[in-house]
Amino acid sequence: MSARLAVREVSFGYPGHRVLDSVSFSADGGEFIVLTGVNGAGKSTLLDIIAGLREPDAGEVSLEGRALAAWPAKERARRISHLPQGTRAALPFTVEQVVLMGRYAFADRWFESTEDRIYAEDAMRRMNCLQFRDRNFSTLSGGEQQRVLLAACIAQCPSVMLFDEPSTYLDVHQQVECFRTLAALAREGALCLAVTHDLNLALAHSSRVIVLDQGKIAADFPVENACADPAWIGRLSPHLRMARTPEGLPWVLYR
Amino acid sequence: MNSRGAHGVGWIWGSALAFLLAAILLPWAGGSIRLDRVLAKAAPDYGIFVELRLSRTLLGLLAGGALALTGSLFQSMLRDSLATPYTLGVSAGASFGAVVTLALDLDRLLGFPAAWIGAMTGAAAVLLIVAGASYKRGSLSGVRLLLSGIALNSICTAFILLINSVVHDRRSFSITQWLLGSVDSVSYRALFVFGVVVLIASSIVITQARGWNLLAVGEAWAASRGADLRGLTMTGYCCGSVLTAGAIALTGPIGFVGLIVPHVVRARISPDNRVLMPCSMLLGGVLLASCDTIGRIVLAPAELPAGAVMALVGGPYLVWLVRRRF
Repeated sequence: MSARLAVREVSFGYPGHRVLDSVSFSADGGEFIVLTGVNGAGKSTLLDIIAGLREPDAGEVSLEGRALAAWPAKERARRISHLPQGTRAALPFTVEQVVLMGRYAFADRWFESTEDRIYAEDAMRRMNCLQFRDRNFSTLSGGEQQRVLLAACIAQCPSVMLFDEPSTYLDVHQQVECFRTLAALAREGALCLAVTHDLNLALAHSSRVIVLDQGKIAADFPVENACADPAWIGRLSPHLRMARTPEGLPWVLYR
Repeated sequence: MNSRGAHGVGWIWGSALAFLLAAILLPWAGGSIRLDRVLAKAAPDYGIFVELRLSRTLLGLLAGGALALTGSLFQSMLRDSLATPYTLGVSAGASFGAVVTLALDLDRLLGFPAAWIGAMTGAAAVLLIVAGASYKRGSLSGVRLLLSGIALNSICTAFILLINSVVHDRRSFSITQWLLGSVDSVSYRALFVFGVVVLIASSIVITQARGWNLLAVGEAWAASRGADLRGLTMTGYCCGSVLTAGAIALTGPIGFVGLIVPHVVRARISPDNRVLMPCSMLLGGVLLASCDTIGRIVLAPAELPAGAVMALVGGPYLVWLVRRRF
């Protein structure tokens, strides 16, 4: 049986600059994968390619055994949601209207159905933004806006969720809540793939870590093996080292 | 349907009622014709009503609707609150085409007024050039459309100035008059053709309102929710250009309606394009036809161009609204 998501020999670049170089991995439902690496390592580009926003120069991404490019846009959106980086803040819409946009691929009528609203409410509740559903999106703080955008991705009910730095702008409590929600979605059967630089949040909540370095996969391991070969941490910064919490969980310390 | 949907549909019906009332009442504004004489087809009341006022009101309603809808479309598509039907260069192309026919003193082409044919040809040429310049690696980007459109706008404006400076005084006066823009009576044949164009293009645009909502957030956001970016952008650009070119061919450049109406509807009624677009279209028509009527009667027998009335009435209101909202 084919993997839910398979990335095979994907390469991408601009003239004179290779961003991704033969990247391959596969993943299945129930996994919460964290994609990390230094700035410019190719993380967001890889996420964009998996989301179908960019065409790779070489290689292929397949979803449920079928090439990504072969999926019609709405069919693909029913299976993959993607939170891009830097979504604009000055939107005239209410919070609820933004979250309901996640139902675009499902709604077949002029206004959303009761079912669409139920999914949107559930997503807002999960991301702790139901209380300001009627507020104008542009009046929210950066962190509140981020939670609304995450709720829209969840309302899409996909089997693969891609998040580019989901905890951006969130306060510490909301960062933890965000990663707990993503872990819960993975336990419910979704495949979550998140780009992040917060290694301890990643290690505490995810099931697998992929480290990108200069466009290649430098490490790919289950989170419980993070301390087994700590060389991966050196690719991110020479000032980090691996340790364990009293509970035995892997933990990153500053030197 | 939920309460928000019902609220939006209520506004659409209310706007449609205003449109209908404007079509019925505005031709009678300013007096001097009587209902009983029009019904009896008595001269000159019948001729004034049918040949002048009714066709002029209908043109104002259709052109205002087309321009206001295109304004709301381009503002969402380009994520630019200053976008108007004129942003993407089509209006300058249409004006350039019309000015060429005026400079050559052409009266009619293919059975139509030469300025209309010139305007449509100029608009089509700019549409093709901008779309061609913006198409890259299988996609049509809003940013590339915007920048190419602004460049073509400047080039066409430069040619218009050049032509206007070298032609004979009489032709220069005609060009200046055309560039001021006005709603004048036109033949019912032209109105029918324009009405069919508006009906088809606006139906295509409005039925994709949910897609425009997504594009208003961002291209990556829209694509990730399942929108066909290339199809949406091409559809929006072509339909918006056709609506703009049709309106400009018949009225000359009257652009403010495409800026003010979508902003007012967005602020006062809804930012959701499913409500915003039909309401903008209907109320834009009412506004342009009303401004034309005011311009017709306020200094009678002299006339003030509809574009000038709209700027005088709408400009201060927009400034007040912006100050309150932002």
